[in-house]
Amino acid sequence: MVLGAGVAGHTAASFARRWLDRGDSVTVVSPKPDYNWVPSNIWVGVGLLKPEKVTFALAPVYERAGIEFVQAAAREFHPEGDGEDRTPYVTAENANGKRSKIPYDFLINATGPALRFDKTEGLGPDGGHSLSVCQPAHAAQAAAALDDEVERMRRGEKRRFLVGMGHGTCTCEGAAFEYIVNLEFELRHRGVRDRAELTWITNEYELGDFGMGGMQLRGGGYVTPSSIYSASLFAERRIDWITRAHVSRVEPDRVLYETLDGLQGEQGFDFAMLLPPFSGVGLQAFDRGGAEITERLFLPNGFMRVDADYSPRPYEQWKAADWPRTYQSPEYRNVFAAGIAFAPPHAISVPRKSPNGTVIAPAPPRTGMPSAMIGKAVARSVVDMIAGADAPTRTASMAEMGAACIASAGANPFKGTAVSMTVFPIVPDFERYPEHGRDPAGTFGEIGLAGHWIKIMLHHMFLYKARLRPGWRWIPE
Amino acid sequence: MDPDKTHYVTKPTKRTVFMRTFLPWQAWRFAVINMKMIGMIRLSHRAQHPK
Repeated sequence: MVLGAGVAGHTAASFARRWLDRGDSVTVVSPKPDYNWVPSNIWVGVGLLKPEKVTFALAPVYERAGIEFVQAAAREFHPEGDGEDRTPYVTAENANGKRSKIPYDFLINATGPALRFDKTEGLGPDGGHSLSVCQPAHAAQAAAALDDEVERMRRGEKRRFLVGMGHGTCTCEGAAFEYIVNLEFELRHRGVRDRAELTWITNEYELGDFGMGGMQLRGGGYVTPSSIYSASLFAERRIDWITRAHVSRVEPDRVLYETLDGLQGEQGFDFAMLLPPFSGVGLQAFDRGGAEITERLFLPNGFMRVDADYSPRPYEQWKAADWPRTYQSPEYRNVFAAGIAFAPPHAISVPRKSPNGTVIAPAPPRTGMPSAMIGKAVARSVVDMIAGADAPTRTASMAEMGAACIASAGANPFKGTAVSMTVFPIVPDFERYPEHGRDPAGTFGEIGLAGHWIKIMLHHMFLYKARLRPGWRWIPE
Repeated sequence: MDPDKTHYVTKPTKRTVFMRTFLPWQAWRFAVINMKMIGMIRLSHRAQHPK
């Protein structure tokens, strides 16, 4: 059973189905009927794509592939079964509120994040004062709001745009970065750039940290930190920035924030796209007797404990080896977590607090390529354990794998650009690479039109792969 | 935007900006970046070695 049909869950279910015998079943439990290629939500948010171009219905794809699909949200997790039956099961709730027991032999928890707009007063599109691009519907709402702003600017008004992080512990800085540079490009394209004032607000200590502790890139005879490139791009495009900030409240026309030095500030806006912090989805776990064991299986932030080293240690003692390799639960050998659902042992960026004790540091990103690779590795381990292996057979440590990433900086086939990046490894390993924690030969970045062409290619390729069209498995994660 | 802030920031030359969208150069970079990314994907998939 796979909980969740995002990048990690869908990849795990697809490969498990392909590798398992027809006598075995693969069941996906997900509350949403659609698959969403999340990286392209950015383009929905600036009005370049409609939501249906980044989503498709899962049911017919799973039916064709022989995967059972239950559209429901997992609520409870009974890894020992109950008093009547020792078969482990999950309790899932459908849209009508009806709960059902779904038994499993092996479970992959790929439930992704809960979007915690509630962590900041006034944050978010549902009852708050800011917009989001986390989901296609949110992104479409942002696009409609952008159209209104453009109309006002065409009438001669000046408008203020604020984009970034809605809380001091957010992750996915890269996605918001893509949004603000695409927004700037789109405002230029629509001929109203001169009437727009753009500001980036972030919990990063320096621009270009992206929750990965930044990157060091070789070129021109120097090893240059990503902060230099990010500041350069912002200065070139006249985007102002506020770093080291925790947004504490969002009001209809301004945000209040605290910075790492303990100062309070405010920034006015007419249009704000601010990402929320994440947590786990809040699954509860129970033992055979019905006693709650959630704390044994999950960290307080709701993400699932796996084979990582969660011993609390100061930053100086963090090691690459702390990061999980097999993603197996230490409590139950038939339970795994993949993608955002697994609990990282700690952040990647340096942890920091303001004098008031407010944490202002990015959480570690684990989306896209690593999520898919973890999903695939976990699926292989499960398939091998079903075939008789005693323990997981595959590893996919973020401290041993690299990532290739394309960050769109403006979508146009002739004038668009994107930043193409590779890093190796994702989690710096200072024992192996003492200077910067990463292999300088595997860490690279470049901005240009070629990156945009690759981004377009990947959009179509990954949606083709996710639809499980012929040859899908040959497209790498 | 505060000019003091941008004064100390690296900015691209006109030539650099031009080359970012100069089609022949970008066609070449398309090939080069793809090769780099394929190399990274191979390297990362090799990291999924048997335990």
